[in-house]
Amino acid sequence: MTAVAARTLLDEPESRFPLDLGIRIPKIRELYRSAIKNQWDPQTAIPWDDVDVSRYTEAQLKAARLYWSRRAWGEYGAISESPALQIRFCQERLAPDLRFFFTIRTQEEARHAEVCYLMAEKLGGYIKEPVQTAFQGAVATHGVRKMALDPAISTEAIIASLVCAAEEIAFDVFKHLIEITRNPVANKILRLIMRDEVRHCAFGWAYMEERVPDMTKAELEVVKNAVETMIGKVELNGYHAAWLAPDNPASRAEMEADRLTYEAGLGATVEEDEKPIFVASVKRIRKQMEPWGIHLKTFTHPKIGEL
Amino acid sequence: MMAMVARRPRRRSVAPLIERRFPLHLEPALYSIRELYHAAKKAKWDPEKHIPWRSFDAARYTAEQRKAAALSWSRRAWTEYGGMPETPAILIRICLEHNGESDPKMFLCVRGTEEAWHVECCYRFADELGGYVQAPRDPNYQQLFNQGFHRKAFDPAVVVDAYIAAHVAVQRGLELELYRGYLRHATDPVAVAILKRLVQDKERHVTFGWVYLSEHAKSWNDETREEIRAEVIHAVADLELRGYHCAWLVPDDAAREIVAADAMTRQAGLGANSVDEERVILTQFLADARAKFGGLGIELPRFPAGTLGEL
Repeated sequence: MTAVAARTLLDEPESRFPLDLGIRIPKIRELYRSAIKNQWDPQTAIPWDDVDVSRYTEAQLKAARLYWSRRAWGEYGAISESPALQIRFCQERLAPDLRFFFTIRTQEEARHAEVCYLMAEKLGGYIKEPVQTAFQGAVATHGVRKMALDPAISTEAIIASLVCAAEEIAFDVFKHLIEITRNPVANKILRLIMRDEVRHCAFGWAYMEERVPDMTKAELEVVKNAVETMIGKVELNGYHAAWLAPDNPASRAEMEADRLTYEAGLGATVEEDEKPIFVASVKRIRKQMEPWGIHLKTFTHPKIGEL
Repeated sequence: MMAMVARRPRRRSVAPLIERRFPLHLEPALYSIRELYHAAKKAKWDPEKHIPWRSFDAARYTAEQRKAAALSWSRRAWTEYGGMPETPAILIRICLEHNGESDPKMFLCVRGTEEAWHVECCYRFADELGGYVQAPRDPNYQQLFNQGFHRKAFDPAVVVDAYIAAHVAVQRGLELELYRGYLRHATDPVAVAILKRLVQDKERHVTFGWVYLSEHAKSWNDETREEIRAEVIHAVADLELRGYHCAWLVPDDAAREIVAADAMTRQAGLGANSVDEERVILTQFLADARAKFGGLGIELPRFPAGTLGEL
């Protein structure tokens, strides 16, 4: 992926003044405050000595190492790409609350990558890259950086699709993972990450709640299209869930690793458990966007049917 | 006006950077920087909780002193704010580079948050003192802040190590020394509490710059050293000696309101340096930086600095 789009926000010179730093979206400023209060450190917040690998088979450990490495790759995407949104908020001089919140959100993503890396290490060793090259493409193309710096895509479209859709779907799976993950260390990690993710999702809805009343029908149509693309072309293509990806050796290998990790209670889920959660998430997102005047289309997927 | 807009060193023509995410190294490689990252997490603080805002007693100061200090602290917020777009840009840039070290990335993720706290504290204290000011009065002085560091951090024609040398080791290094001075002269409990926190964070930020350079110096060739040298000269001559941090150096007295405000803020114990004190700090800092760069194989020239002579 290239660093930036052909013409980007970076082509515009900086114009720092007047520099407003006041509270403009109180809900988002409150999320920033809450994030500061709830900082944690992967080195000290997790009882690492409690990881007992002798309880698991070699195959389970190998699968779980891959699962936690993959989680680390995913979290890393937010370190490598999402800070571009912070640049956009500054460059477009959007509400200061967004800029403050995103600084700590980026730090949280670093914590998440670190904690997933450490868990993979505890289970036998972090894996630096996907074995299957097909999957490498799926986790390497997050695409947020390009969108964030592209002046042709509205901030509202990015936030609605990336946060209110994609992060919301991931969040619901997280809740489910906490219910089914029996290993106490894995469970603790998931809980701590989810505590941060609650704020990440709330940020998106709070921002849109603020913006929607001032948006035109045409602007809302752009948001609708972006959300539909995110759900239809990214999520339903297996960005978060391997079982939704087109059938190929890479997705089959991922699903197998997920099943072994799930059976060991070390932190993954499987198609039959995740499918109803995914369906419910999309239905809820659709319902939550209706008051904005956005009516998402019906999606189809061979493993789900009409959604 | 043109004199105040920074000249930039001649740049190479290079292709846009293409990210190659895998193999994704998350293991420690630069241990000193990983330690700084861990230290930063341990040193976490909360501007709401750790600054004794309620103990601020406006009655201790005259209206004139409060107004001056509000401007001094507003100016600090304007400068600190530069980090809010810059840090994510340099973070992304390092992710786009192919040397694979995760430690600087992790560290920068925390630095970004700390910078937000710094902006928040400066803004809030300015407000408590009588009102945060949203912009410098003089439009020429305003331009000095519009350096677009975040754009430069993204520019593949600027070597990352040159960027770190000029804008972290030098610019943030000088900033740290100035803040140490503000702290030495502050007597107000809120100003002292804010400055202590900021100095502690900035010490890590500057250490990061020098450690990063030391770790990478062994891989530099003559061309890289020359690019680093050029960028450092640019930062000193075009930014610092034109008043990016020391307002009294701004050409044509365009920042005189800040200079006057800082003098009164210093006198009231609300956290500033006098011009004479800043002269000493700047001279000493440049001497120290020159020696450190010399140790890395980069010889800096002496800088003509008007009434200060050669620095």
